[in-house]
Amino acid sequence: MAEAKDKTPLIEMRGIHKKYGSKIVHRGIDLNVYPGEVLALMGGSGCGKSVLLRMIVGLEKPDSGTIQFRHEFIENLSEQNLVPVRKKIAYVFQYGALFDSFSIKENLAYPLREHTKLTEIEIHEKVLSTLDQVGLKGTENLYPSDLSGGMQRRVGVARSIIMNPEVILYDEPTTGLDPFNTQQILKIILKLKSTGATSILVTHDMTAIFSVTDRVAFMKEGEIVALGTRDEIKNSKLKEVSNFIHGETY
Amino acid sequence: MEKARKFIFLGYERSLFIFVDSLDFIGGSFNLLYASICALGRRPFYFRLLVEQCYLLGVKSSSIVFITALSTGMVMSLQFGYGLERFGGKLYVPKVVGLSIMRELGPVLSCLMIAGRVGSGIAAELGSMNVTQQIDAIRALGTDPLKRLVIPRLLALIIMTPLLTVFADLVGIFGGMFISNAELFIHPDFYYHEAVMALKTSDFLVGIFKTIFFGFLIALTGCYYGMKTQGGTQGVGQSTTRAVVTSSVLIVIMDFVLTKLFWIFEKH
Repeated sequence: MAEAKDKTPLIEMRGIHKKYGSKIVHRGIDLNVYPGEVLALMGGSGCGKSVLLRMIVGLEKPDSGTIQFRHEFIENLSEQNLVPVRKKIAYVFQYGALFDSFSIKENLAYPLREHTKLTEIEIHEKVLSTLDQVGLKGTENLYPSDLSGGMQRRVGVARSIIMNPEVILYDEPTTGLDPFNTQQILKIILKLKSTGATSILVTHDMTAIFSVTDRVAFMKEGEIVALGTRDEIKNSKLKEVSNFIHGETY
Repeated sequence: MEKARKFIFLGYERSLFIFVDSLDFIGGSFNLLYASICALGRRPFYFRLLVEQCYLLGVKSSSIVFITALSTGMVMSLQFGYGLERFGGKLYVPKVVGLSIMRELGPVLSCLMIAGRVGSGIAAELGSMNVTQQIDAIRALGTDPLKRLVIPRLLALIIMTPLLTVFADLVGIFGGMFISNAELFIHPDFYYHEAVMALKTSDFLVGIFKTIFFGFLIALTGCYYGMKTQGGTQGVGQSTTRAVVTSSVLIVIMDFVLTKLFWIFEKH
């Protein structure tokens, strides 16, 4: 399993176990995420990719195991103590999870109003520039219901990156999107990568995996069975990996 | 015989489910309350959200409370008017109507209507937010859903239900006065004098005090079911129904308990 051993991990997960009732979701996952990389978590439905992503931002707690972000253990932090971590790690929800009673501008202004002392004029300018960044200039006065699914996800990305986080977690960012919106999202991920942001993607989308990622982790039945660069994974001899990539049953 | 056995078993299973569900509600709502009390003292304070909820939950409920109170006062006047007339007690109508509205019907009926309108609204709104991951988004953006969603609703109803009840009491007594004059030919001056003279400050306070508990129960139940909603639109529907049924039942039970306590207190 290839890992960039010359760098210190930004996120370290060790021995993660999780189960819901009798269903075992994770069976001792170890994973390092390095600064500036784009890592994809790939695998069949229900293999625990999204739960792993939620654990990194404290939305779920592991039953056992540790998660460190910049050497700080975060698995047992209270909601209050997770606030500084959540300012640095942004989460992009699968369907955007925009506040439907807020306008697009209000959605983007939300984290700025909560965590910064910017004036309303500064907030307005920041909102407009971030919307421009995701190609949605001029939508600030609309409501989420006025936008298409793809546009909502781009607003979701905009809301997550407006605080300039160090890490961005994407939960199936391109699933169900048309090719145009998929490309827009991938462009945003690449643009953020060029600024030095670290990204973790949960996805089934092979285009996304093989066009923007540096490394890929393949999960099966709560375990990481393959981890490597995208080329290593693409050419993997492991049957379950190659079958998954080529859409064959295994 | 087999059918009867199956029927008994289903009844037993259903009772067990209700019992476990009730324990789940008690534990879960106490947890939510404890967490909310802990969060209450922490910054930031969302005063603007509290004012907004006072308007949405309280002021916007005034029309439903007005209609309920007015019709209650009018019906009470008619019923007692015709009932007491047979015994020559028509002139007691203002006292009976005033007292029953102030102590019992104003607070209870208003809060039952508020439970229907507001309890369902809270459960549906928070439930929808939950199933569309908006509550997770609030957490992921480093903010506290208890402070933003639960506390403003709890405080708003604790503040607004007593105010709405004062409004309901006045409207109910006015409705009674109108019907007493139109149907029973009791002069409004006499009605007003009798209704007000029969009332003590404690009658007013008992009614108002109850509604603080009722408002609290409506908000807590709505928030609890909303925050634990699962399973998409069907789950939202179930949470909404449960919030209304549970808060209505709790209001009726709490009404008896508080009335009994006030009787003991007033006797001494």
